[in-house]
Amino acid sequence: MHSVSASAGVFEAAHEAARGTDPGRESRALPRAIGRATLRVASTVLPVMVGVVTAVFFLLRIVPGDPASMILGDRATPQAVAALRERLGLDAPLWQQYIEFVTRILTHGDTGDSLVTGVATGDLIWSRAPVSLAIVAFALILALLITVPLALAAVRRKDGWIDHAVRVLPSITMGMPLFWIGLLLIIVFAVNLGWFPVGGVAPAGAGPLPWIRSLFLPSLSVALGMAPPLIRSLRAQLLEVTEAEFVTTLRAARVPERTIRFTHVLRGAALPTLNLLSVNLAYLIGGTLVVEKVFGINGLGTLLFQSISSRDFPVVQGVALYCAVLVVLVTLVTQVLSALIDPRLRRVR
Amino acid sequence: MSLTTPSTLPLRRRRLWSLVATATVAAMLLAGCAQSGPAPSDDTPTAGGTLTYGRLASANDLDLHTQITSNNAFAIDKIFEPLVSFDESGEIIDWLAENHEISDDGLVYSFTLRDGLKYSDGTDVQAADVKFSLERNIEKQGPIMLTAPIASIETDDEERTVTITLAEPYTPFLSELTGFAAGVLPSDFGGKSEEEFFENPVGTGPFVVSDWDPAGDLTFVKNEHYWQEGKPLLDSLVYTFVADDNQLLQRLSAGQIDAIETVPAANASEVDGNDATTLISGDSWAIEQVFFNTQKPEFSDVHVRRAIARALDLEGITQATTFGTARAATSLIPPSIAYSAADAGFELGYDVDAAKQELAESGYPDGFTATLLIASGNASRAQIAQIVQESLAQIGITIEIESIDLAAFRERFRAFDYDFMLNSGQSDSPDPNGLVTFQADPEGFSNSYWTHYTNDEVTALMHEGRTTPDGPEREQIYLDIQRILAEEVPYIPVYYASTLHGTTSKVHGLEGLPNASIRFQDAWIEE
Repeated sequence: MHSVSASAGVFEAAHEAARGTDPGRESRALPRAIGRATLRVASTVLPVMVGVVTAVFFLLRIVPGDPASMILGDRATPQAVAALRERLGLDAPLWQQYIEFVTRILTHGDTGDSLVTGVATGDLIWSRAPVSLAIVAFALILALLITVPLALAAVRRKDGWIDHAVRVLPSITMGMPLFWIGLLLIIVFAVNLGWFPVGGVAPAGAGPLPWIRSLFLPSLSVALGMAPPLIRSLRAQLLEVTEAEFVTTLRAARVPERTIRFTHVLRGAALPTLNLLSVNLAYLIGGTLVVEKVFGINGLGTLLFQSISSRDFPVVQGVALYCAVLVVLVTLVTQVLSALIDPRLRRVR
Repeated sequence: MSLTTPSTLPLRRRRLWSLVATATVAAMLLAGCAQSGPAPSDDTPTAGGTLTYGRLASANDLDLHTQITSNNAFAIDKIFEPLVSFDESGEIIDWLAENHEISDDGLVYSFTLRDGLKYSDGTDVQAADVKFSLERNIEKQGPIMLTAPIASIETDDEERTVTITLAEPYTPFLSELTGFAAGVLPSDFGGKSEEEFFENPVGTGPFVVSDWDPAGDLTFVKNEHYWQEGKPLLDSLVYTFVADDNQLLQRLSAGQIDAIETVPAANASEVDGNDATTLISGDSWAIEQVFFNTQKPEFSDVHVRRAIARALDLEGITQATTFGTARAATSLIPPSIAYSAADAGFELGYDVDAAKQELAESGYPDGFTATLLIASGNASRAQIAQIVQESLAQIGITIEIESIDLAAFRERFRAFDYDFMLNSGQSDSPDPNGLVTFQADPEGFSNSYWTHYTNDEVTALMHEGRTTPDGPEREQIYLDIQRILAEEVPYIPVYYASTLHGTTSKVHGLEGLPNASIRFQDAWIEE
């Protein structure tokens, strides 16, 4: 523990240093940090994309099951199945199909027409993506709305009853499969209480409120599933930061407790949680896909499930590619946010 | 989030009391009405409104000649209609034809179209359109192709007659004509290209496609030119795609949708018992079965197959897995189809001692190990598989259950790459020939539904059944076929499935058909 001088200037300096707001350095460092993060992500984007595209292409074809048989049903004669395979280009050698597939991505920016519906994969994805993205976004917001207050409440008095409750209760939803959380929410809040629709998405013409209402339970399901590790992480980090020397210094300088808590402590503790959030992104997207099925929402998840069961190769490939792009984009955003929160990450080396 | 704040509580209570009072008075009034005369306006159909029908799969192709799966078939049959059709009990009835005649030699089928028939775009239906449509059916060689030996189709637009001459008698022909694939469409697609036409199809059916997402919802509006006077009652019908059966059920319970295509058997009593919902159930043309790959040495042994048939308590399996909604099967042809042997007593029956005896007579008296292949995602089938596994353990046969997804399942059994499997057989028409041909014709592409079962006597009877006119003689043929199949057990019919649909109690006038489709032209919704 350093000895604390009574000079106000020292405290101000400590305050400033803790907040990391040296205006001159910030203006130089921030764009560079963002540029560096972008470059870092970009250097991983290409291999990730190529990997996803190639792996999905070949995995789908290794798995048994033939799209033509799925389209035509049990009664189809082998001749009819063969004719359809030819029409869909499935009889061509695998390498040729792969080259055509990659060419199509590069020239048209999509993975081909759906074998089942004949609609371009790009169109299918664009019509399904908004609702899925909305669930991802709402789930993220709800997860933070659950996490931050609970973690803050818990650390107000470590090992108090609120702290115990916050440590124990969220683990309940953590132990539940996502579809189960969804079903419970449907039964309680939609079927019995009637506060929310059971499923589906309110039509665009109905206005924003019914639309948000119809997405609330699905988003909450995902949020409840992902909140527990976030709460734990944030609580642990908050405790750690609360006990840090600079906080003691700030307290000694009579910086208001509220300012310490929300400006310094929360900020210091947010970074690991944010990173955890980005690591959990796969869960978030995966969870959204599962939850769509439970709530009967015709988004990307439903499209993916449908396409996998009918072996609709171009659509599965398209959705996989799209999700990969999404993961990369969010990783980029997280890194930029990290740089904004933590000045150490944008220090010019 | 709580809504019961102290300030709202009294208000809610007051509202509750006034509701109770109103309900009591209403109940008394209703009771009075019921005693004094016929029920109030509940039974009077009201025209208008939209019916939302939830389905587990979306309609992705409306070409009546290339499609068979129910997601498409039950949308196509709202748009295109055949000359003859069938009712709830599978009886053949005139539909676009006002009458039909069959010559005594069974060769000439004459139909007269209804007067004033129009397509949904207002153009007249011509007799020549029927010829165009049936010829396209044959040309496309689709899954529900007409298999009758048609020699010629002659039409007279003035007289509105269609005369179809067969090269030889083919008794199932009229029944084949009831299928949606025998529907009528305008000659040369009304001048459009084939592709254009099926994107926005024009038929005589009660509904017209208005908005269609092949991977999502399908919205129909009423056909203003429909031949049934004043029908359909609904202004529009929406096929809503909901991928999950539990979600489908919950939406119905909450009144968010008006009707659902499939009610899981486990929930049938719940839908039936709930005041807010109604169960529409009927006999179907589907039979749940165990199929043997008779190319496997163990299952080529008839004693092994008979032993398994005797070791299975079909009554118990049916009760446990269909919750009383289905009837245990005793014959291949279900009672909803002509000449069923369901009550003929041909079945071997459940008898574990007799099963052990059969196995002792087989080439595998000490039992063996086999794999039961099932498609995943079907809870009732998974349950049947477990019961089969336990039942066969009692007679010394060890079963491993292999559950794989539908696409892989289909690929496996079509390649005869399985020991035995659970699957369902389904007839497309009320005549027994279709089912028998598909399940017992060794010359057909499916090799007796991928069992590879061959019995020359059955094959001969099957051919005879096609040319013999309806009557006792034809009945005897199908009874004989079912007797042989029951004795030789290439498959074990487990139960006759029921069609199970659900509606809210405000919906009336739906007609459930034995092929699991629903007619909506009489449907109406209480206001």
